[in-house]
Amino acid sequence: MSQTVFAPWNDPDETPLIRFKGVTKRFGGFTAIDDLTLDIYAREFFALLGPSGCGKTTLMRMLAGFENATEGTIELSGQNIAPIPPNKRAVNMMFQSYALFPHLSVWENIAFGLKRESTDKEAISARVEEMLRLTRLTKFAKRKPHQISGGQRQRVALARSLAKAPKLLLLDEPLGALDKKLREETQFELMDIQEKTGTTFVIVTHDQEEAMTVASRVAVMDEGRLVQVDTPDVIYEAPNSVYVADFIGDVNIIEGHATPEGERARIDWAEGQPPIWGTPRGAAGTGSGAGKVAFAIRPEKVAIAKEKPEGRRNLLEGQVIDIAYLGNSSTYHVKIADGRIFKAQTANTRRLVNRDITWEDRVWLSFTETAGVILEG
Amino acid sequence: MKRFSWFNATSLTLGFAFLYLPMIILVIYSFNESKLVTVWAGFSTKWYGELFRDQEFLDAAWVTLQVAVFSSTIATVLGTMAATVLVRAGRFAGRTLFSGMIYAPLVMPEVITGLSLLLLFIGIGLDRGIFTIVLAHTTFAMCYVSVVVSSRLTSFDQALEEAALDLGCTPFQAFRLVTLPIIAPAVISGWLLAFTLSLDDLVIASFTTGPSATTLPIKIFSAVRLGVSPEINALSTLMIGIVTIGVITASLISKRAAVAQARDERAAARTA
Repeated sequence: MSQTVFAPWNDPDETPLIRFKGVTKRFGGFTAIDDLTLDIYAREFFALLGPSGCGKTTLMRMLAGFENATEGTIELSGQNIAPIPPNKRAVNMMFQSYALFPHLSVWENIAFGLKRESTDKEAISARVEEMLRLTRLTKFAKRKPHQISGGQRQRVALARSLAKAPKLLLLDEPLGALDKKLREETQFELMDIQEKTGTTFVIVTHDQEEAMTVASRVAVMDEGRLVQVDTPDVIYEAPNSVYVADFIGDVNIIEGHATPEGERARIDWAEGQPPIWGTPRGAAGTGSGAGKVAFAIRPEKVAIAKEKPEGRRNLLEGQVIDIAYLGNSSTYHVKIADGRIFKAQTANTRRLVNRDITWEDRVWLSFTETAGVILEG
Repeated sequence: MKRFSWFNATSLTLGFAFLYLPMIILVIYSFNESKLVTVWAGFSTKWYGELFRDQEFLDAAWVTLQVAVFSSTIATVLGTMAATVLVRAGRFAGRTLFSGMIYAPLVMPEVITGLSLLLLFIGIGLDRGIFTIVLAHTTFAMCYVSVVVSSRLTSFDQALEEAALDLGCTPFQAFRLVTLPIIAPAVISGWLLAFTLSLDDLVIASFTTGPSATTLPIKIFSAVRLGVSPEINALSTLMIGIVTIGVITASLISKRAAVAQARDERAAARTA
């Protein structure tokens, strides 16, 4: 089976489902969203990621119709949605608290939206049954929300918001109330349901792993602005700023002064220390590879060894200060020349007792010239 | 420490005696055979029979019932609306003033409320009768309803209403289909409270009534001035009964709703 890559954002002929055009939202003197422009395409699973208070929930509530933009326009299928009240939008929302109606059964909760637009009892009933099957809730149809578990309630909320087959489904921290194991299962379930129904999902989350797992594209937000909008792998491998690099996953950041030398750039970061060699990312448009820069490298891209490895230009010597044992991997905290801590992560392919590196050991850290990214300082 | 000392027992007895002795005496004497209120002449229910043959009392009871039903119903609608606005509207200029003004009639002396309503009715040339008493009772009962309902609304998750809007409800439908069923216990206990308040009000009713409408409290008060009859005792006993049932029901309803809510929250916390 040939599979075309799903990337409508790279296709200039594709029209976006949602367009934010210069949207600003102020609450009194506080600017929640600051001149934001963003396109989201049909069938995308789009994640808004950021710390609390970054404006991601406000952005979502504007799509649902609970808030209006102070400036700028939001278009859904080419139509300005500002004058359309929430009950007239082809947009449904799954609330963080689920907001299930406590006086109605699971069945009635799911049927609630359908009953507002149709009186055809059989059609409603068929659709509710379909939703119950999709979310594996058939057994619980007659129960009240307080009689089912948190995971089941989450699925009722999802079924209810999907029942009207919206063009766009908004999910506000949908998995926040679930424990880790259930959350991971549910993430895959969400992706599965998103694919089956072909609905465009916009999810708000502060959990970067969740965003990386489910989303086709991730928007990292900070203080009402979009810092980077890209696919999860680009966000992780080629963050465009120290903020993104630091927010997503674990990272070592070294400030220094870069000088381009041929294809590579030489970064001088401490007196009397050998420079770090990196690759300027002209294509990604960030880091000209000159001047004051920050060099960011993920711990798992740093190799650790007791003997000095041959043939590598990027070498740092240090001493193991701490080891975080995570089961499948271990993170070594290594103190390097100027006293800073550098993290290196290795997969635990051998049993713990056979590990040759331990506390206080002198070690060598090494990485390739393309492993890290050079960011504007 | 001894929890039940003699001092405590005495205080308790005195306190409750102070509160309930007069009523107990009234109830006992309503079953008195003798026509003289202060002389006990054996048990009898004949005064209750007399009461139900007295057309004036029956008329007054009918007026009172009508006033109570209409005024408490209107007060419940208005009070619920006021509570919804005050809890939901969030911050707006003069919000504190508004909520203060809703509660002010609670502490306003009834004489003042009655007098000012009387002046208003005379001023706009409204004939005094059942209608004016209904208006007057609505005015003061509404505050009680709004207090009861707004305390329930503050713990109401606003996301529920947003969810209803999101699923295609108009704001009114959202209120009718989601908010109202959930806050119904508070609304019902507000109604019962308004009902009992209207039932036993004398001061405001006497200011705002006309010759055509005499409520039971007014009737009793004027009858007593001619001397206390055992019939009055019987009537008062019935009223005590009705009011007690009303108040107990109201508190049971709100208590049960609170218990059910706590149970749901516990269940939710357990399974979450």
